[in-house]
Amino acid sequence: MTPLRRSVRLAALALVLVLALTLPVPAQAPKSGGVLTIHPLTAPPSLSPHEESTIATVQQVSACYSNLVYFDPAKKQESIDTVIPELAEKWSWQDNYRNLVVLLRRDVTWHDGKPLTSRDVKYTFDVVRGAPDAPVKLRINPRKLWYENVEAIEAPDPHTVVFRLKRPQPSLVLLLASGYSPIYPAHVPIADLKTTCVGTGPYKLKDYRPGEFVEYVRNPNYFVKGRPYLDGVKWVHIKDRSTQIAALQAGQLDVAGSGWNRTNAETAKKGKPELTVIESDSNVNDNVLINAKRAPLTDEGVRRAINLALDRKAYLVGPRQGAATFGGAMQPRPSGVWGLPQAEVGTLPGMGDPVKQKAEAKKLLAAAGYGPSNPMKLTVSTRALAIYVDTASWMVDQLRQVGIDAVLEQIETGVWHPKMTRLDFQVALNLTGTAVDDPDAMFFENYRCGSQRNFSGYCSEEIDRLMVEQSQTLDHAKRLKLVHEIDRKLQAEGARPILGWGKQYAVYWPRVKAFAQHENSIFNVWRLQDVWLDK
Amino acid sequence: MRGYVTKRLLIAVVTLFGMSIVIFSLMRLAPGNIVDILFESAGYVDQADKKQLERELGVDRPLAVQYSRWVGEVARGDLGKSYRYDMPAWRIIKPRLPVTLELAFLALFFSILLGVPFGVLSAVRQDRPLDYVLRVLSLAGLSMPAFWLGMIIILFFVRALGWMPSITYVSPFVDLKANLWQFTVPALAVGYRSSALIMRITRSAMLEVLREDYIRTAWAKGQRGTLVVWRHALKNASLPVITVVGIEFAFLIGGLVVTETVFNLPGVARYLVDAILLRDYPVVQNLTMFIAVVVVLANLAVDLLYAWADPRIKYEKA
Repeated sequence: MTPLRRSVRLAALALVLVLALTLPVPAQAPKSGGVLTIHPLTAPPSLSPHEESTIATVQQVSACYSNLVYFDPAKKQESIDTVIPELAEKWSWQDNYRNLVVLLRRDVTWHDGKPLTSRDVKYTFDVVRGAPDAPVKLRINPRKLWYENVEAIEAPDPHTVVFRLKRPQPSLVLLLASGYSPIYPAHVPIADLKTTCVGTGPYKLKDYRPGEFVEYVRNPNYFVKGRPYLDGVKWVHIKDRSTQIAALQAGQLDVAGSGWNRTNAETAKKGKPELTVIESDSNVNDNVLINAKRAPLTDEGVRRAINLALDRKAYLVGPRQGAATFGGAMQPRPSGVWGLPQAEVGTLPGMGDPVKQKAEAKKLLAAAGYGPSNPMKLTVSTRALAIYVDTASWMVDQLRQVGIDAVLEQIETGVWHPKMTRLDFQVALNLTGTAVDDPDAMFFENYRCGSQRNFSGYCSEEIDRLMVEQSQTLDHAKRLKLVHEIDRKLQAEGARPILGWGKQYAVYWPRVKAFAQHENSIFNVWRLQDVWLDK
Repeated sequence: MRGYVTKRLLIAVVTLFGMSIVIFSLMRLAPGNIVDILFESAGYVDQADKKQLERELGVDRPLAVQYSRWVGEVARGDLGKSYRYDMPAWRIIKPRLPVTLELAFLALFFSILLGVPFGVLSAVRQDRPLDYVLRVLSLAGLSMPAFWLGMIIILFFVRALGWMPSITYVSPFVDLKANLWQFTVPALAVGYRSSALIMRITRSAMLEVLREDYIRTAWAKGQRGTLVVWRHALKNASLPVITVVGIEFAFLIGGLVVTETVFNLPGVARYLVDAILLRDYPVVQNLTMFIAVVVVLANLAVDLLYAWADPRIKYEKA
């Protein structure tokens, strides 16, 4: 072979190599078939999302239902811009955001074969908002508050629904896109939906054994053509965390990680390095409830001292093992849409120099008459669950560092909420997650005077007025400004001091494809219609 | 014998009646109730809704009324409705019974299979190397919690073999092999602890019996060693062993909570703890009564076995 030929061959070979390495790899075509075995947070108390407030229910029934609109699973951050139609073909606002007109798809049938009509939509939201003429009443109705601005729902024809509002509320669409807003079948008794599921979603319920598993099979009549890819989904309930990790490592689970912390995810990965670990922000925060109606916490200085004593950076490295972000009442940016600017977050109580802040806390306590000779006695209450107790124990230690004689009280789940509602506590550590990253969901539920979930008893007429104002503000920038104003006031007044926002984990085998997680809600991403298995 | 059994069964009815009052009262003494918990999972408490729900579930009625309603339902074969899951309690309990019973029987089988022969060998070879080894093994069995041993076994399987028993229940009627794999490992973990206890009891009973005159006589007559040990001595040493086996079985029916949790077996014991935490009164009351019935019957069976093991025991009137 001549040197020239050899050079030409080498050059050609090099070109082929360069092309092979630089050209984009064609995306793998999704494969159909297989059953996804997945571990949820816990077993669901029932299969009726409109009657529950736990991710466990939403997570495990979303595959069975459909909403009018839903958040695009492929977009990590949920916002008004990522809302996509589901049962709604299209929707439009009329009369300056007072009337929401929704046109329904005409090709949708329930899992029992009956057609979906506007009557089902009207039925669902009349029941949820507790309308006087609703045909049935929910035994427990946790999201009635969401729809208190809805004056009437009309179904002028089988494929049109009109939501008439008392005042403009553009974020109603976000509430309708939540995993907590599926459409129920009007022809199925509502009590039955606690133990069965008749939906219009991509999967049909095959079997449900309380505390054991929830199993679905593919819905062949699903209105989105070509979906779902999987033949089925099986949610398996495993109580013991070590067993969950072992089951994932042994390949009996395809996906796990709900409710895990960083150590759990790392342990799983260490045993099986091929596992994929996704850590992302979440809209669940650790917050401190300070009962301002009970002495000595009636003193604003004492409340501020407690807030200052809790060093947020120590919280991050301690109970949260480095997996949290800091912010105010709204989930911090960039994963959240409405969070306070980062520079401002750094100036919130508890975020500064711990030595200086603890010294200030001691001064405030001294001014209130407490000191080494007369230490304040305080009980820190929390639920008797590990994820709560870890942080509450850390709080006790932090409070002791400023001379407060704090003790921990673990409260069994069964009496936790009644105690909180009765304000039967001094200081408590609580976890709060909202279904949608929107001020209407967060503020009205947790901070409004008299709200059933306002566990700290905080009440400010001015804040209530601002809440309504932001809710009906149409311009995003103006609304954001109002939301920040509210958040600033809430933080300054220590309405419900936020320690931080936790992270969430998804750990799965590489064979699992298109498994999505959202960064600003754990509730709205469980339809699983695009997930497929490469095996 | 028939008279004795009838008398014992009548006593059992009285015992179960007493148990039912204790179970019912204890559940009501615990703070919090099912209505609080239902609202807890919904994240709010509405007093009007709460009162309505209390009326629906009947927990607002006087305790005596609630108790008589429960007893009446049980007498009619109706186990009521699970408050938590809003479905018949029997529908929840029924699939769990075979799981716990299979695990308990299998664990008992392993514990007798290991405990009795090792106990006999240990006694026969008293203060020899085999005795020391078996005593150490039995002490280890008593010292190791079953859940810890179970976890170690699972970790060993996953790390060494990349495998573990199925995490969802496999019925023996669907796949017997998979079912046996699923139950053998936890049954061994639980059975090991019980076998240690049985071994120690067998050993001490055997040591006592082996020193009896009639055993010495048997040896002196030149009877075969195996016959003396396994027939004459063991049968007479079996009374305390039968007692322990009976107690262990009763314990296994209600005490498998952690094992069922670690191996993710959907049994009665695990569910009972969940139901207690949820104050799901109908489920707790009926499951606890089921365990009480098993304990009572196990005790009766033990007493009847005494007569078989020791012909000197007569239950008829003299």
